[in-house]
Amino acid sequence: MEGEPFDRRLSRADMLRLAAAAAGVGVVAGPAAAADAARARLSQESGRLQVMDWAGYCNDGGQSMFAAYVHKHPNNKPQFTHMTNESNALAQIHAGAHPDLFRPYCGWNKYFVQSGLVQPWNPKLISNFKHLNPSMVKAGQYNGKQYGIPDDWGFDAILYRKDKVHPKAKSWGLLFDERYKGKIAWFDDLEMITVAGLYLHAKNPWNQTSEELKRSQDFLMKKKHVARLIWASETDLWQAFGSGDIWVAYAWPNDWVQMKKKFPVVYMHPKEKPIAWVGMFMLLSGTPRFHLAHAYVDAWSSKKSGRWLENNYGYGHANLEAKPSSSALLKALQLSNPKAVRMPYAHLDRDIPQRQHYAQLWEQVKAS
Amino acid sequence: METTAGTAAAPTHRRRRRPGLTTPGLLGLPVSWLIVFFVVPIAIVAAYSVDVFVLFPGPHSFTFSAWHSFFSKGIYFPLFFKSVEMSLTVSAVVVVVAYPLAYYLALSGTRRKYVLLLVLIAPFLTSYLLRVLAWKVILGDNGVINTFLFSTGLRAHGHPLSFLLYSRFAVMLVLGYVWLPFVALPIFVTLESLDRGLLEAASDLYASRRQAFLRVTLPLSLPGVVAAFLFVFIPTVGEFVTPSLVGGANGYMYGSQIVDLFEQGFPDWETGAVLSLFLLGVISVLTLVFVRFLRAGEARTA
Repeated sequence: MEGEPFDRRLSRADMLRLAAAAAGVGVVAGPAAAADAARARLSQESGRLQVMDWAGYCNDGGQSMFAAYVHKHPNNKPQFTHMTNESNALAQIHAGAHPDLFRPYCGWNKYFVQSGLVQPWNPKLISNFKHLNPSMVKAGQYNGKQYGIPDDWGFDAILYRKDKVHPKAKSWGLLFDERYKGKIAWFDDLEMITVAGLYLHAKNPWNQTSEELKRSQDFLMKKKHVARLIWASETDLWQAFGSGDIWVAYAWPNDWVQMKKKFPVVYMHPKEKPIAWVGMFMLLSGTPRFHLAHAYVDAWSSKKSGRWLENNYGYGHANLEAKPSSSALLKALQLSNPKAVRMPYAHLDRDIPQRQHYAQLWEQVKAS
Repeated sequence: METTAGTAAAPTHRRRRRPGLTTPGLLGLPVSWLIVFFVVPIAIVAAYSVDVFVLFPGPHSFTFSAWHSFFSKGIYFPLFFKSVEMSLTVSAVVVVVAYPLAYYLALSGTRRKYVLLLVLIAPFLTSYLLRVLAWKVILGDNGVINTFLFSTGLRAHGHPLSFLLYSRFAVMLVLGYVWLPFVALPIFVTLESLDRGLLEAASDLYASRRQAFLRVTLPLSLPGVVAAFLFVFIPTVGEFVTPSLVGGANGYMYGSQIVDLFEQGFPDWETGAVLSLFLLGVISVLTLVFVRFLRAGEARTA
């Protein structure tokens, strides 16, 4: 049902020509004809492409990621709305926002698909799709359809100053270590319940039993006094860490990239394993700019964009051909390992069936 | 007599009609503004709190379940009382600090009082965010205060006063700083409009300066003091920007919780609406109590 907009508008021959044109090959029906067909289909879609994305990925620094799209579609430049997190995006969409595409992380894929808010992509319209990490591509599938196109990825792990902090073990326990009380930063997200579950050996940290949830919440409440900061935005973390107010933090790879400019820091993968996340472009149901959205995601998926992202933001990119200039980043992100986001290396973030309950428990921890 | 009375009554009748049209004309715009941008939004929030409006599509019906959960579980009450306590402390301290300042400006007879008043409100020429963030530079572990303490030997290196930032103290300090001019101004205006003849009369009746202050100046300036107190208390009890910038884990306030319920983790607009309305209700009651107290005080003074 979700694929109807595409199926309805294009004949099979058109589809082949369009795919060929989008890939820049154009040998099936001749370069000129294929390009004309692609242009014709794209030109049927009007207006600016509506993109909902995170700060730093819009016209506020992330322009290189979609420069190729803007170059090809100067009349349909993306118009951005910021999302501060998936919950915020969900609220905005239900409250009346109508983006053509947005970019939640993989743990939310199932929720958005089941809510009926999104439709599957047509990978044939994305020329760079074949270069994307198959493991991450699979994480974007649901019932055999490609609902998420993977883009950036990274880990939730622990950043610490090695001149100040001496962990007893490579463990999430460092976030709860009394020795560093008042120098620790937690992350403001229900993922903290999952992390507590990982640390306390819950059977399934993403779907803990009532007893396990109570234990995780009690543990976080008991340990809250060690946390000086619960950060919701990276800039808050950078200020606190960069000024020496924080020595240990729940962090993303980009935080390591930024902080290693100032201090000797370690980005530690705990023995309980870090949580890996993959950003997924999702296409809103009923979007009037179906093809433009594909073109936008295609630009994002290119090797050039991926390399830029890795070099500048310190995150991995799903395009396997994209490699950063820095060998340190290559090593930290395990970019040579196409299965870095899965076990035995990391827990790939996943759906939380009791998400609302997890959120309530986390809010209570903060309020405690 | 009758004729005279009849002709005299006609203009009076016309005069009565004119204000009848003028008053709604003058009040129409502000009242409409209040209805559209105050009453209606509150009604919408109230509708969310009882599931008449819901964020997620699907069947829904009128229910008090979010209200029931709020009162029965009592999870948010400790946070609410913490915020009220912080806000009351800030309001009281700032009033105490601002009063002598306003007193000096209004009653000292200095010719530079308006220049000094401008200096007082000068920080408002810079952005709120910038002023709050500047405190991070001052209060941090390696900030101005701790660096001074290290350099003077009052604190050992590596042992900063960490309660200065990312704490309740930091939130209260910054809120006090930000709201100080809002407190000083209404007190200044009240003192400025004080009838100086009353002070002269007190002096003529051999009242000491202290007695004149306690029995004349202070009672007459109470309306300004109460207004100033409310100016600070009402917005700060629901404050969320300052706690998010300098509060850290310990300076989390009730307003922060409301914001988070709306968009962190998983949107819970029903509970967020309940928390918002509860705050509104409590503030309204407190304001009424203050106003009653003020009127009683005015009556006693009269």
